[in-house]
Amino acid sequence: MKLFRRFSILTLATMFVLTSAVAGSASAASSLKGKITINGSTALLPLTLQAAKEFQKLNPKVSFAASGKGSVTGPQAVSKGIADIGACDWDASTDVPGFKAFDGQVANKVAVIPFATVVNNNVKVDSLTTEQLKGIYSGKITNWKDVGGDDADIVVITRAFGSGTRVNYQAKALGGGDIVKKSKNYKEVASSGDMKTAVSTTPNAIGYIDLVYVNSDLKALKFNGVAATTDNVINGKYKIWSYGYYMTKGQPTGATKAFIEYVQSSKFQTTTVKKMKFIPLSAMK
Amino acid sequence: MSSFSATKRNTRARFFDRTATALFWGIGILILLVIFWLLYTIMHKGLPNITPQFLVKLPEEIDAGGGIGPMLFNSFYVLFLSLIFSVPIGIGAGIYMAEYAPANKFTEILRICVEALSSVPSIVFGMLGLAIFAEYFGIGLTILGGSISLAFLNLPMLTRVTEEAIHAVPADLRNASYALGTTKFQCIRTVVLPVALNAIVTGVCLVAGRAFGESAVIILTAGLSTSGEMWDFSLFAPGETLAVHLWYVQSEAIVEDARQIADKAAAVLVFVVLFINMVFRIPLWFNNRKLKR
Amino acid sequence: MSTPVHELTKQQSILVNSTTTSKFNRMARVRLTNRLFKGYFLFSILALCFVLALVIIFIGKTGFLTFNTLSFSEFFLSMNWAPEEDHFGAGLFIINTMILTGLTLLISVPISIAIAVFNAEIAPNWFKSFIRPVLDLLVGIPSIVYGYLGMTVLIPFIRDLTGESLGDGMLAAALVLSLMILPTISRISDDAITAVPKKYREAAYALGSTRLQVIFKIVIPAASRGIVTAIILGMTRAIGETMAVVMVIGNTAQLATTLFTPSSVLTSNIVMQISNVEFDSTWNYALHMMAFLLLAISVLLILIIRFLRAKGVKEA
Repeated sequence: MKLFRRFSILTLATMFVLTSAVAGSASAASSLKGKITINGSTALLPLTLQAAKEFQKLNPKVSFAASGKGSVTGPQAVSKGIADIGACDWDASTDVPGFKAFDGQVANKVAVIPFATVVNNNVKVDSLTTEQLKGIYSGKITNWKDVGGDDADIVVITRAFGSGTRVNYQAKALGGGDIVKKSKNYKEVASSGDMKTAVSTTPNAIGYIDLVYVNSDLKALKFNGVAATTDNVINGKYKIWSYGYYMTKGQPTGATKAFIEYVQSSKFQTTTVKKMKFIPLSAMK
Repeated sequence: MSSFSATKRNTRARFFDRTATALFWGIGILILLVIFWLLYTIMHKGLPNITPQFLVKLPEEIDAGGGIGPMLFNSFYVLFLSLIFSVPIGIGAGIYMAEYAPANKFTEILRICVEALSSVPSIVFGMLGLAIFAEYFGIGLTILGGSISLAFLNLPMLTRVTEEAIHAVPADLRNASYALGTTKFQCIRTVVLPVALNAIVTGVCLVAGRAFGESAVIILTAGLSTSGEMWDFSLFAPGETLAVHLWYVQSEAIVEDARQIADKAAAVLVFVVLFINMVFRIPLWFNNRKLKR
Repeated sequence: MSTPVHELTKQQSILVNSTTTSKFNRMARVRLTNRLFKGYFLFSILALCFVLALVIIFIGKTGFLTFNTLSFSEFFLSMNWAPEEDHFGAGLFIINTMILTGLTLLISVPISIAIAVFNAEIAPNWFKSFIRPVLDLLVGIPSIVYGYLGMTVLIPFIRDLTGESLGDGMLAAALVLSLMILPTISRISDDAITAVPKKYREAAYALGSTRLQVIFKIVIPAASRGIVTAIILGMTRAIGETMAVVMVIGNTAQLATTLFTPSSVLTSNIVMQISNVEFDSTWNYALHMMAFLLLAISVLLILIIRFLRAKGVKEA
């Protein structure tokens, strides 16, 4: 059959051209080379991609493959050996609620991530206390009038269990308190973008998100009277934040080490990290 | 009609016929309107703002104005590779099911296999691809892994449409060909396939369209990044496709114009699917004209 | 290649003109290719089965580890899914998946088949050549775009209409899925209906049938094989669809007691949680088991539809 023959010849030809192209590019000499595979937290992905782009300009022989699915995939991929760096929103070398520590992994801090409690723009409430948030998320408070708002049902939107954002928010904003699992007005979303869309399009909704994503589509609430701003994080008044980590198997070496050092360098921290509305490591005391 | 007098039953049947015709027209037009509304909603925000630079530029993580160049290229590249892997096998399997398979229990089992495979959620193929390519072969997140995993997803659909297309070829044609002394394969090659080609191409278009928009498989097997340059034919580079980029921009990107990029990327995606359909169809239309004459 | 008559005459002329010896060689070659390609086609279908086997082994291997720590009855019958507290009851997801699939087919099948009939039997040619590519276009729209539109357009609409404060749930998911599988069902049924030989229709018309009678008494029964295939394909896509469902169903592990209860089905629960669990945990095993179950359910549904069809054919 002509069609098949044509296809197979085409396949073989492309394969040949491609493999020779790969071999050709890999044999070129350079001071630093290698392939760095990064997996894990999607929240850190924009930072990772930007860092990879800048790093590649300085070291053209280093190539990157980055993907993201969830925080815990990061350290897991590292321990399985399918990634060199596992991006994670918590320190995976220690125990956190719900997840055991990953032995033999080193946590490298790369940035500070602030989180914010957000509500739909139609909500009149401006500030909530830890106790009020606990009440809302545990399902004890179900109407906005109980916390000083209009008479309307609270729609609780949350991230899936195991999301780095949820782990941190639960620990820092809810004081380790529970998040309700079954209710009529309760919804789980899969990503920061979905959280933003869901809260901004659902009246009376409350959720939580990285501060980076907050814009005029939704309203960030004060936490115990303190506004969610980077300044308040730096001066220690606003408590809902965490470090973002790059997990590695043992101490990083070679290209991986150079890359992590680049991300931690003051040049990258004070320009790119700041521009992306994360907080530079050096700002925290 | 006038030659016989209408009985009550006839009049009623005619009345039903007219009402039903009107109803069918109604549904047809309604669906068309829904589709156009859908297309309008997807396109009107994105399409007018697309500039040529947007289609070839590299994406940005901080500043507004990033493009989708490498992703668009990867989309075509991954689609092309996955079709190369899946079309010969999918069509071959379809021919077997339609022409060779004897009517027995074994064939029934094969058929159920095909249908079962078509119900496997795409994320499972993604997990399978990750296990095979990243863990077993240790090549990491690559275009090769992505396109083979995508080929898995295409297979059952290709098989079913081919089988259906070949079943639709009238038996008369086959008999005529056998009467001329052709072997089974000659008959398939010269009679059955050409007649079924139209429907098979439609099927491949459907599959290609679906594969073009697939994201779950690619995220897991080809990654969320590109090699950072245009026209990278390497099979072992990470291969973020346009649909994956759309997911990323919609889910996690922090550039200010993420919404606009998502709108534009969605518009481009739909436009390309339309384009694939057109390019494959036009030669077929001409063909049909020729056949009719 | 696309003009069979032409090719046939060419072949005949070769047959006639060739000498006896070359004819003999040629026959041997023809026989060989004949056998070779039969082998190739068999290989293709077996390759497909091999992929399925890979999937089953891969999913099953991990999935059945669930039962090291869990009893069958707890996994299948319990309605309590709270992995943080070691409750792994997948019963509610199974029931929800059934409800969602049923609801989707209920909405989608009549409309899709009506479209197919309309395309094949009623619509004028210009309309046909217009609506078919447009329908194909629907298949190519990425599921996340459907999901996003569902979240930003459909759900607010449902919310306004019903006064619910959330709006996520079975109805929203079924509507989105219906639209997604509509082109699959209608295009394949369309092809099946078009393939019904013209003489069947002519015979029926000659007996004085109206078009409606021809459609329902002759064409649809004659095309039923293809239509059932179309429905199965649509259904399996609906069962396996993830990205769009996740965005509109609410993702809460509870039974869908009303159309607007935020709930969760097998696929949406897998996709929401698979990236956030540890590899060596009962939770991960249970999710793999759910993927395995998904496969089992669709095979079961396929078997049921086949059984019903076989029975229908016998009665008809």
